[in-house]
Amino acid sequence: MQPLDRYLSNLAKLLPADQREDILRELSEDIRSEIEDKESELGRPLTEAEQLEVIRRRGNPLQVAAAYTPNQGTLAFGPQLIGPVLFPFYVRVLTFNLGLTFLIVGVIFAALSLAGQPIHFRDLFSSVILQLFLQLAAVTFIFALVEKHLSRQPHDWSKMDFQTSFQAAIKSQIERKIQSGPKEISRFDSIAVLVASSVALLWLQSLWANQYLLFGPAAALISLAPIWHVVYLPAVFIMLVTIVRAAINIARPDWIRFRDVVSVLLDAASLAIVYTLMFAHTWVVPAVSASEHIASAVNHWAPIAIFASAIIALAQTIHDLIRLYKNWRWHSAPPAPSR
Amino acid sequence: MYNTVYDVHHMTHSQSNPDLFQNLCLELRRGSLILAVLACLRSEQYGYTLRKALADRGLDIEEGTLYPLLRRLETQGLLLSEWREAEKRNKRFYRLSPLGQEMLEKLLAEWKAIDASLAEIVKG
Repeated sequence: MQPLDRYLSNLAKLLPADQREDILRELSEDIRSEIEDKESELGRPLTEAEQLEVIRRRGNPLQVAAAYTPNQGTLAFGPQLIGPVLFPFYVRVLTFNLGLTFLIVGVIFAALSLAGQPIHFRDLFSSVILQLFLQLAAVTFIFALVEKHLSRQPHDWSKMDFQTSFQAAIKSQIERKIQSGPKEISRFDSIAVLVASSVALLWLQSLWANQYLLFGPAAALISLAPIWHVVYLPAVFIMLVTIVRAAINIARPDWIRFRDVVSVLLDAASLAIVYTLMFAHTWVVPAVSASEHIASAVNHWAPIAIFASAIIALAQTIHDLIRLYKNWRWHSAPPAPSR
Repeated sequence: MYNTVYDVHHMTHSQSNPDLFQNLCLELRRGSLILAVLACLRSEQYGYTLRKALADRGLDIEEGTLYPLLRRLETQGLLLSEWREAEKRNKRFYRLSPLGQEMLEKLLAEWKAIDASLAEIVKG
């Protein structure tokens, strides 16, 4: 890809969608005209470095795009801390960080509550306020530093350079992994997965026959709701496939892509099960009429546990997807030169 | 002597506080740029030649300022534009609209009045 195309492609991502094509055509035409002008002045084509200089002089794509974007706000306490260029990114990062932090705080408090710990509103409130303050201070401080750098040296920051160095770093990491990374799945890992899945499958089957394993003495008062009948067979199927997959990888530890693809498919199936459970509304039913209040209390708190399971399942899926992508890249990359 | 004192004072401040000087210059130029762009577009031009025409007359304007300004003036109905082939490439040509022509005349009159007042004020 030529430097100009790279620059325009970076810029395109930041421009308002309804004007993107028009702005890019015009800027591209302007840059080409300038390059041609310089070439006719010098009587020779510009080198790539000279072309890069023409493009760099235009400023970083963030600032160029900001000129076309309606002002979405700034942050100022006296002097301006975060200008209109960075402000939308600042809001996005802050929202994401705060969302994630509050989710974690919520899960922790829910877990404490489920474990029988008394939870006071003031504890929850002070935790939320503390996190809010810390995140706000940290994110604002980092963005204010970037803003200061950008305003002092507006042409010194190049997303292209950043991207190039970032890609080079990733490439060298991939090459290092190709040279030194595992070429086979550890048989120990496969055996561990096989054993753990077999135990889990046996436990699930026993649980179905004897709910005391799950509820303890409370099994006399509550039992599993019909939704578990819906998800039982798919759950057994997932475990069986996991066992088969691990067994195959014991025999063929070099089938890395097989392991990665099957894992992602199983993750998707697990997510579907958790999704089904999330919208069930009733997870346990009273075994006797006197235990309705117990079933109601469990049903009240069960969504938190299911939500936590959903987060874990999602994190596992993301992990396996990244692994699939990385391994795909390693295997698709040309072999490293021998030394 | 007044000029010397003014220059020294001006240099000291602009060197010690370049950000302030830059900001004041930007404010001073902002309104003038619109006038210059409108005046240049009495004859049809595309962005690059317009930028060169302004630079040749001592008014450098960055692309990041010019093109969004052209868009804004077009949205306000002061400019008309069309994509047309020239020198084997498609270029966007801008020209003054009838409303732009009318506004330009009014703005020029206003600018001349401000210029005259300023000259009087600076003269003391």
